[in-house]
Amino acid sequence: MRAALAADPEPGEGPRERVARWTAGYRPPPGRPDEFRGPDGAPRGAWPRLLDRLGALTEPEITARFVSAERHIRDAGISFRVAGDRQEHLWPLGPLPLVIEAAEWRDLAAGLVQRAELMEAILADLYGPGRLVAEGRLPAAIVAGAPDFLRPLHGVAPPGGHYLRLYAADLGRGPDGRWHVLADRTQAPSGLGWALENRMVLARTFPDLFQDLQVERLPGFFQTFRDGLALGTERADPRICLLTSGPYSSTYVEQAALARYLGLLLVEGDDLVMQDGRLHVRTVSGLKRADALWRRIDADYLDPLELNPASRLGVPGVLDALRNGSLVMANMPGAGLVESAALAPYLDGLCRHLTGAPLALSHPRTWWCGDLEGLAHARANLDGLTLRPAATPQRGAGRDAILAASALAADRERAVAALRDRPFDYVVQEAAPLSTMPSWERGGDGLRLVPRPFVVRVFAARTSDGWTVMPGGFCRVSERDGLDPIEMRLGIRSADVWVLSDKPVEAPLIGSHAAPRVRRLGGHLPSRAADGLFWFGRYVERAEAVIRLTLAHLRSVGDAVGADISGALDTPAALAIRALLEEWASIRSAEMPTAALAQEALTGRDQPGSARAHVLAARRNAAALRARLSGESWRVLAELAELLSLDPDRPFTEAQLAGRAERALSQLAALGGLLHENTSRAEGWHFAELGRRVERAINTAGFALAFANDEATPGCLGVMLALGDSQISYGRRYMQGAALDPVRDMTLLDPYNPRSIAFQAEAITRHLADLPALVDDGLPEPQCRLSARILSELRSGEAADFDAVRVTALATDLERLADGIAARYFPTGPHALRPEKLAGLA
Amino acid sequence: MIYTLRHRTTYRYGRAVRFARCSLRLKPMDGDGQSVLASAVTIDPSPATAVIRRDYFGIEALAITLDAPHTAFSVEALSTVRVERPAPPPPEAGTPWEAVRDAALASHDLAGAAPVHFLFPSGRVPLLPEVTDYARPSFGPGRSAYGAAYDLMSRIRADFRFDAKATTVHTPLAEAFAGRAGVCQDFAHLMIAALRGLGLPAAYVSGYLRTVPPPGRPRLRGADASHAWVAVWCGDGWLGLDPTNGCAVRDDHIVVARGRDYGDVAPLDGIVSASGRQRLKVEVDVIPETEAGDAAQGLALVG
Repeated sequence: MRAALAADPEPGEGPRERVARWTAGYRPPPGRPDEFRGPDGAPRGAWPRLLDRLGALTEPEITARFVSAERHIRDAGISFRVAGDRQEHLWPLGPLPLVIEAAEWRDLAAGLVQRAELMEAILADLYGPGRLVAEGRLPAAIVAGAPDFLRPLHGVAPPGGHYLRLYAADLGRGPDGRWHVLADRTQAPSGLGWALENRMVLARTFPDLFQDLQVERLPGFFQTFRDGLALGTERADPRICLLTSGPYSSTYVEQAALARYLGLLLVEGDDLVMQDGRLHVRTVSGLKRADALWRRIDADYLDPLELNPASRLGVPGVLDALRNGSLVMANMPGAGLVESAALAPYLDGLCRHLTGAPLALSHPRTWWCGDLEGLAHARANLDGLTLRPAATPQRGAGRDAILAASALAADRERAVAALRDRPFDYVVQEAAPLSTMPSWERGGDGLRLVPRPFVVRVFAARTSDGWTVMPGGFCRVSERDGLDPIEMRLGIRSADVWVLSDKPVEAPLIGSHAAPRVRRLGGHLPSRAADGLFWFGRYVERAEAVIRLTLAHLRSVGDAVGADISGALDTPAALAIRALLEEWASIRSAEMPTAALAQEALTGRDQPGSARAHVLAARRNAAALRARLSGESWRVLAELAELLSLDPDRPFTEAQLAGRAERALSQLAALGGLLHENTSRAEGWHFAELGRRVERAINTAGFALAFANDEATPGCLGVMLALGDSQISYGRRYMQGAALDPVRDMTLLDPYNPRSIAFQAEAITRHLADLPALVDDGLPEPQCRLSARILSELRSGEAADFDAVRVTALATDLERLADGIAARYFPTGPHALRPEKLAGLA
Repeated sequence: MIYTLRHRTTYRYGRAVRFARCSLRLKPMDGDGQSVLASAVTIDPSPATAVIRRDYFGIEALAITLDAPHTAFSVEALSTVRVERPAPPPPEAGTPWEAVRDAALASHDLAGAAPVHFLFPSGRVPLLPEVTDYARPSFGPGRSAYGAAYDLMSRIRADFRFDAKATTVHTPLAEAFAGRAGVCQDFAHLMIAALRGLGLPAAYVSGYLRTVPPPGRPRLRGADASHAWVAVWCGDGWLGLDPTNGCAVRDDHIVVARGRDYGDVAPLDGIVSASGRQRLKVEVDVIPETEAGDAAQGLALVG
């Protein structure tokens, strides 16, 4: 502490002075409620307590903690994607949480529970008896005009009895200073995973503050939520799947984090299939029943047969499983109906009617233009109102085109035109700017606090008796004024949400569920995940082969066993390396100068066969597997990609490139070690290993054809040994220069050499034997028979027999083995039968 | 008039299909001036499961699955229907369109046949400003809803060219509108978009049309094929208008189903697990009772 104080840019500054300096210029815009300062300018709520604690830290200490938080975010691969963009952005977490005191939170939570219950009751009526419309309490056109009024679900009782199992609301403070619901989220609310990630990061950054301030913990809520997903399933130990919108959706990282944390099976539509009226997961052990589905795709995409026929994300016929009650779904398809902005003017009346009490939490004043009063109000007050589509959430994410009725004449014209033909498609809403909260920003004279607009999303989960509200949330803060933080994009930061208890909090800060059932295997591996792991293994191995080949060219490798390669470019060995790199599409042409050739083979951006391209492909496959790969593996992959990213316009020397290649090999070795040491020996590991082994065997056969053929020079044989990292063993075993049969024996047939084909074949055979059989008849499956045959040929063969003809046949068999593994375990792969629409017009 | 209807659909696949899941909407509608005297569907190969389901709009669909590998799949629907509709009203009679629009919007009825469901854009009928503007001249203040819609239908018939090659079943409405050409499906979707754009409920009707080719007169288009037209809500019921032929719907039109657009009423719709190509063949016969005796000569096959 003393040492840190000495480094303070403001020596002698005490905690109190420090906080005073941070907040000196803090002035919320007039008329806008702020979290930290009330209308009278006095600090509010728990903020003084939070700032006191933070003030006890010096600025260098705080900076060091920010830096460590950012490093954790980078290492853990926490990222997000802007919708429609392929690039991932580092998760921008602000260090300052939103703090809410116990008493205020209790009222807010009660209001949220009331709202969740109201939404459930409205859905139950609209998809059931329809009294609210028949009795004139809700206009029929608001229901009929909502794209999420899914007619095929009308009259289908939700299995388990509930339309909603997760309810979320976006909150901000209204002009009266009270919390307002800016939007209800009932379709497939996102953000729970971000809330969890934010908490994990801040728990590392400010561990002491959580204890001091008695911050409510989150694990209890997540356990409750998971239990709620299983309510009403038919089997005692249900298989719960998280149906993701896919690796390219903006929230995939959070979906994968949630699946991992909650122990759910992360699946895509292709992983699922309807059979005998029930939903199943395609796994490497065959079809396994899915009992509950937490969908993170919009309901419209769920079933191309009965809903959106263009959907490729869903499962044909899945609605049948809801009709016959065999599948529990959260939330029930069609639940998005109550997100409609046009419901707002009717909610209080519906609440009084359905629950007997007035609506506790209000929302921005809204008028539906489909009734005469609303339309008249809209026309008379267009300048002070915001015009929005009636059928989308009040504040939507992206899809919600908002017509701001601003002073601009063109906007005004658009608004008037919109209200002419179909006024019922719109609502008008009181235009109020968002309320603000403090955000930490760094100025020339150190840190300071500035008020920034924010939105906080809070969550409620269904339990066996009612609702539980998560004591926390997912907060988004703009980095500048006038930027609406309604969804994560550039310029928006997220913040953790701390609900302060008025008594000491005992539960663990993060960590897992209270009492999980002990199990050793993670359940059946979905075929698509197995496919990804297999290819992950293959691409990693391909990258290694290219790097070794390049390095063999760069280095003078002949010293130990033969010496015709060093320096010279036209030796048989050098020519063979260049030819193979060209054949693999690692380089454009075999005629390039050595350094340029090596730079391209390692880092080429346009070469599909460069080491970099293979590492990126491995990473793409790994991206779809975030729920299964350790964070460290992810970090090593990121470093590999970084090592192999060189500016193509800047030429590097041979020595520099050899250094890079060596470091990349070390990282690959680290990755192999992580897979070996840190991965459970469950099915997933077998597939990553199978991919590596098959690929290594195929590459080694290719090396043998190039460097250990009947015409091979001693230099070529030296390269062959170098590629298999076998020079030292060879030198020890034979004490003389490289000769054809000993080299062939060591690289192809020697079962003790971990780089020989025989070693790979033994490993492949073992892995295949450990994988589940489809039919329990004791007969080996085709891929097992093929691997046994390959192995027995290698075991019974002699080095002298393995001429080009024999090695070519071996390589063909290995390729067939790879295809056989794919056909057996990955039936949804590129060659698989896919569901196709019947051609119209019939 | 009593009709015998035969609708045969055959799919041939390049490679065996292992699994198929389909919905058949082939049974003519009962009611609204029609009664179904007999109806049967023959499916080859025989389905593994078959369930009759009635959807929100009251359309009856036969949901089937096929789980044995097959390279061909055929469905034949045979029905006998009596059609006796009252004569359509004179075009300019009836409630003004503004009143029809306001009443439809204010209705408390959310049942399947209620007009409110047909007020909004649907999967294949987006609302396009250019289409709404095209409709506007027909809708002078106070004009009857039916009269205005009839006028719109006549203009579409005059302005758009029937051209089976101009569009496919997947052509978006905006493209068909810009090209001023299409088939009955495009004509119907276009007229529906135009009516809904002004706040009037409009439905898509699938069915068949009797072919009466009198000597020297042009043959009605869409003859002996599945056909589609429009039902307009006129305040107290739906009235049929056929923009492809520019006529009101009476006894020559046989209704199979009424929905928001083609997607709701597609006669045969489904998903197969396939990797090869599909070939589709459709044959439709509409045989009026008077010809039933010499049906063999009266058959007009449309493939």
